[in-house]
Amino acid sequence: MGRYLLRRLGQMIVVLLGATLILFACLFVIPGDPVGSLAGSERARDPAVVKELREHYGLDKPLAVQYVTYIGHLVQGDMGEDYIQRRPVSEILGPKLVNTSKLAVAAIVFDVLIGAGVGALAALRRYSLWDTAVTLVTTVLVGFPTFVIGMLLLNLFAVQLKWVPVIGDASDPAQVILPAITLAIIDAALVARLMRGTMLEVLRADYVKTAIAKGVPRRQVLLKHVLRNSVIPVVTYIGISFGGLLGGAIITETIFNWDGVGMAMSTAIQQQNNPIVVGVATWGVGIFVVLNLVVDLMYAMLDPRIRLS
Amino acid sequence: MKLTKALQWTAVAAATALAVSACSSGSADKHPGSTVAKNGGTFRLGIVEPTAIDPYNTQESEGTLVTQNLFTGLTSVSADGKISNALAESRTPNDDCSQWTFKIKGGTTFSNGEPVDAAAFVRGWTRAAAKDAASDVAYHLGEIDGFKELNSGTAVTFRGLSAPDATTLVVKMAIPDCEFDVRTFHTVFSPVPQVAGAASNKAYNDQPIGNGPFKMEGPWQHNSKITLVRNDSYGLTKAHLDRIEISILNAANADQLEYQGFQAGQFDWARMPTEQLTAAKATYKAKGDWYEWDANGMNYLLPMDFNGPTKSKEAREAISYAIDRDAIAKGVFKGFRTSADSLVPPAFVDAYQKGVCASCVKQDKDKAKQLAAQAGLTPGTKLYFGYNTGGGHDPWVQAVAAQLGDVLGLDVHIDGIPFKQLLDKEKTPDATGIYRAAWGADYPTPGNFLNPLLATSSIDEDQTTHKVQGDNRGRYSNPAFDALLHQATGTKDLAARTKLYQQAEKIAIGDDLALIPLWNRSQQRVANNEKWANLTYDFSENPTLATASLK
Repeated sequence: MGRYLLRRLGQMIVVLLGATLILFACLFVIPGDPVGSLAGSERARDPAVVKELREHYGLDKPLAVQYVTYIGHLVQGDMGEDYIQRRPVSEILGPKLVNTSKLAVAAIVFDVLIGAGVGALAALRRYSLWDTAVTLVTTVLVGFPTFVIGMLLLNLFAVQLKWVPVIGDASDPAQVILPAITLAIIDAALVARLMRGTMLEVLRADYVKTAIAKGVPRRQVLLKHVLRNSVIPVVTYIGISFGGLLGGAIITETIFNWDGVGMAMSTAIQQQNNPIVVGVATWGVGIFVVLNLVVDLMYAMLDPRIRLS
Repeated sequence: MKLTKALQWTAVAAATALAVSACSSGSADKHPGSTVAKNGGTFRLGIVEPTAIDPYNTQESEGTLVTQNLFTGLTSVSADGKISNALAESRTPNDDCSQWTFKIKGGTTFSNGEPVDAAAFVRGWTRAAAKDAASDVAYHLGEIDGFKELNSGTAVTFRGLSAPDATTLVVKMAIPDCEFDVRTFHTVFSPVPQVAGAASNKAYNDQPIGNGPFKMEGPWQHNSKITLVRNDSYGLTKAHLDRIEISILNAANADQLEYQGFQAGQFDWARMPTEQLTAAKATYKAKGDWYEWDANGMNYLLPMDFNGPTKSKEAREAISYAIDRDAIAKGVFKGFRTSADSLVPPAFVDAYQKGVCASCVKQDKDKAKQLAAQAGLTPGTKLYFGYNTGGGHDPWVQAVAAQLGDVLGLDVHIDGIPFKQLLDKEKTPDATGIYRAAWGADYPTPGNFLNPLLATSSIDEDQTTHKVQGDNRGRYSNPAFDALLHQATGTKDLAARTKLYQQAEKIAIGDDLALIPLWNRSQQRVANNEKWANLTYDFSENPTLATASLK
């Protein structure tokens, strides 16, 4: 187990290095001078200022030197300064990471509660009215684009009913509900279908039949055997989904003015604010790798047959 | 898209709106001072995250909104678009405009109690011009003697500035300029207190201490909010609002969020997404909450005047005649833009020359074809048309390209690319074709259109890369035009100066059509006039928070 972890962590470092290297190469290939003009303006920047900024950001040095310098600072926790406001990237991204994490956690909670719950009930009452309704509604929801759901929710509950402010404070817990539901709704539908499918399969498995034949109480059969075995694919799905959410949800964050990393990424790409782009992307890759590891570890916990080696 | 510094102009916007009242639905209370304004109230609005609110680097409209309420400089631009004194009591050039003397109102203070004297101005201007500041707006100070040395780091003091006594500021010019005072309302000319320190002082960057009608309540909460409260020790006419709560919105859909916030009663002032303008006007115009005006700015096509198919003026005129501006204004912009027939916009009431761009006035297919034949712009000629994506330009760019194809048979290659790439492309020595462009002046003078966009000195070619470093990216160059501009900045009399600028525009636009004007910069806002009095827009297209009050 310990060895396994070490190996995985080693792999992670390689993946992260590879990711930053590719990012750097990509940014270098993109035409356009990141400090050549004023932010979002048609106006050329004073050549003297351009020169000063190039030196300040090390842009006058070859790409390889820039990369090594960046990595050297990164391991010390220094992600450099952004090109627009000239503030430390870590200071800019810190609060955004917190906001994105809040949203991701809330969305996952909705996912699990609604998705897994609804799916499990549907499987238990197979072919009932409830089951049919779940199948129908989830099919429709899976086909809905996120931005439609987000705009509808915002217009209904914030603009029309005024239950929550349109522009709210990310520290206000009520403010997270609408974007979290927006993010969760499609995922929850997928989770419900996944849960229903695997649970039906498990319910037909021989060991469940055996347990019932032995006279084990239904409650115990469901909790100990059925549920535990059904959640494995769900855990995988949610783990990966959570990784994606922590990397930032551009559309949802945009609609709800949620100051997270997704929004930061899309703005930074448009402004060619490269330090932010590299910072967010590195974070996204890192968190994804970490969560994959966590999911793998959870497999072993849920299913003793799986051996990590 | 982020409102740009190109919007940070000056303006005469308000003037036009008042003059052309058919265009402006105006606020309910147009008589400031007719009743005693009440103190109180919290005004709320949304902006996108500014680059800076510290005057050394304040640049776009959003930053200007904050900085102008925190700082008061020598001059201000009044609602009718004219420069007037703020802290200055007089502003006097010598005979050849190589030296300016400003008398400053005595006895006013910063909100921390430090005096606002001539030394405070010297301090502020020096701080912004210093090399380490790497300020994007310091170039506005570039005409002053000693700027080069200070900006390149060979000096630490500003040689051209002196303060013989507390209320006298003397400015020696390296480049004589008879309209230098027009520049001084820009926020980079703000005075700063001693606590400001250098431009790198992060604490001051986020919570500037100024001498304006409002002051910061706590530091700037990045990407979240900025809160201002009334400065009760303000040295000029005090404001009435208790607080201004500025929410910071995502840049990508700020206009949508502003409008939704306004509809929900959360904001008192808002922009709207283009596609909702018609509905918004229908709802809010009747209530007196609607503002619509042509602001200080111009949308135009930038043709490469030195290279490729648009090298001859006949070719450029053919393109201009082939475009039906009115049809696109109506079809694509739903009537929320007006067609342009000049480069210096109608918002510059005194300088505007109606129809100076003859080919802009009305589409003329025959003339277009005839000129195209003359210029060798034969059907099938390839024409590159670059524009930036993400700015909502796609529909009209396609419409213009279609018209050029229909009328002239040109093979137009539309190329939508990110903004910085577009600018980079325009700067290269082998650029050809036409590009989408827009401009707004920093100060209310036609010179701020003509000089940066068309003067030979604004090409400023880099000797090694041969790229344009200035804003004259079409590389237009005409000695007669340059001479008129030079003569204009050396002319003290405003009316005579305006005439010279008009002559210059006649050459560059009327004769040479160096740029192809398309539409004026039309603006729309909604405002909560049931709640607020004395509320209108200013030259930076921001609400007039220093005068607004509760009804």
